[in-house]
Amino acid sequence: MTTTLEDLSRALAAAVEEGGKSVVRVEGRRRLPASGIAWSDDGVIITAHHVLERDEGITVGLPDGTEAEASVVGRDPSTDTALLRVQGKHLQPAAWADDSSARVGHLVLALGRPSDTVLATLGIVSALGDAWRTPAGGSVDRFFQTDVVMYPGFSGGPLVDASGHALGLNSSALARGISLTIPAATLRKVAESLLRHGRIQRGYLGVGAQPVRLPEEIASKAGQATGLMLASVEPGSPAGSGGLLLGDVLISLDGVPLRGMEDLLQALSTDRVGKTVEVGILRGGQMSSQKVRIEERKKEG
Amino acid sequence: MPAWLDQLRESSADVVERALQSLVSVRNRHRGAGAAIVWDDHGMLVTNAHVVGRSRVHAFFADGREAEAETLAVDKDLDLAALRVGLQPLQPIARGDARRLRPGDWVYALGHPWGVQGAATGGVVIGAGSDLPELSNGDRDWLVVGLHLRPGHSGGPVIDACGRLVGLNTLMTGPDIGAAIPVHVLEAFIHEVVGA
Repeated sequence: MTTTLEDLSRALAAAVEEGGKSVVRVEGRRRLPASGIAWSDDGVIITAHHVLERDEGITVGLPDGTEAEASVVGRDPSTDTALLRVQGKHLQPAAWADDSSARVGHLVLALGRPSDTVLATLGIVSALGDAWRTPAGGSVDRFFQTDVVMYPGFSGGPLVDASGHALGLNSSALARGISLTIPAATLRKVAESLLRHGRIQRGYLGVGAQPVRLPEEIASKAGQATGLMLASVEPGSPAGSGGLLLGDVLISLDGVPLRGMEDLLQALSTDRVGKTVEVGILRGGQMSSQKVRIEERKKEG
Repeated sequence: MPAWLDQLRESSADVVERALQSLVSVRNRHRGAGAAIVWDDHGMLVTNAHVVGRSRVHAFFADGREAEAETLAVDKDLDLAALRVGLQPLQPIARGDARRLRPGDWVYALGHPWGVQGAATGGVVIGAGSDLPELSNGDRDWLVVGLHLRPGHSGGPVIDACGRLVGLNTLMTGPDIGAAIPVHVLEAFIHEVVGA
């Protein structure tokens, strides 16, 4: 007969073993190797951007003990994620937990494979962050903050739940001093974009704007107190071609209320690039809307 | 409290209580206090070399007895020392095998952190073996655990969920990361001592 404590010990070790089948070693920097998560069975691996100091000569160590050369599919420094591909290797893709299942206080494990074997640390979910814009301008969905110890080489590895199912990707570079986990929802968006385009597309409107208070009558009709007044419109930009004028106050974009600059940046996301959207404006005291086609921002301005 | 949680709580306390019977506090004039483990029922104790130094060591047992300990052998490279006391009977610790632990397995470290006698701290195995980050020379085995080792833990036991000795608290490599000498390394060291 085993005690409950032995059962706990065994269950935690089993979760590590299960989750560890999808954890790989990523050798892409001079110092210590880091970790990565098998994304698809045809050789795609997701890892942290900051652990890849180079684009060539990256080696991946697989759970079966073999090694393979990996190429960089793409990087998104704004969320500290990157995709790799290895050829001719079968990977066991991570089993992902239900996005909404995690609660503050849940037991979680951070996994990594800086050497041949999988390693683990235990902790609990400390907080569930709101959607968040990173210092580098990336957008991260509800993220996890935990008290797991990030052992050397754990960056790019998964946070797993008590059954070994992945909750997200651990990064020690996005915010200082805390263990932060990028959730599966964000990883899916980034991976999709990187696989399709090799980069993260950001929307481009071509305006300079500042938040202004809306007249009371408009505010109550629109359900928001502030909008964005256009201080400049670049000629030939999506905004210019779409008929937006200097002095217009933007109220919404594709149904998303624009209360401040943050809202506008969020709204100009990958999925709206190339789409024609309704922009709600206030012009001459009247609310109306214009159709604007969002283009891709080519270079950071 | 649900029954299983009560069982977890009690089995945790049982394991710690049993192992504490084999925990020793050792003191010498120059280095202050550390921990040691009752190895067998012939009065053999094991601890870290850095705990005993060269001077005489006084050993204090869980049941309140105390004795002068004779230093049998010291290996500074391994950071291990074997001591002997002339007391009977003593409660030797049950031995497990660190090589059979898996990452995620539950463990405790026992010792006297900051001089607090007979304290326990819990956590999980991070990994074991000779190829671990921050334990550079890959020529020896370590057991790395995610728990709070503090001064005074040195020389004390790491035990598994069954209360069996799996390692000897030896150093910290991070605020919440401890490195222990696995029990098979202790066994080889003691074998040398006894065989010589």
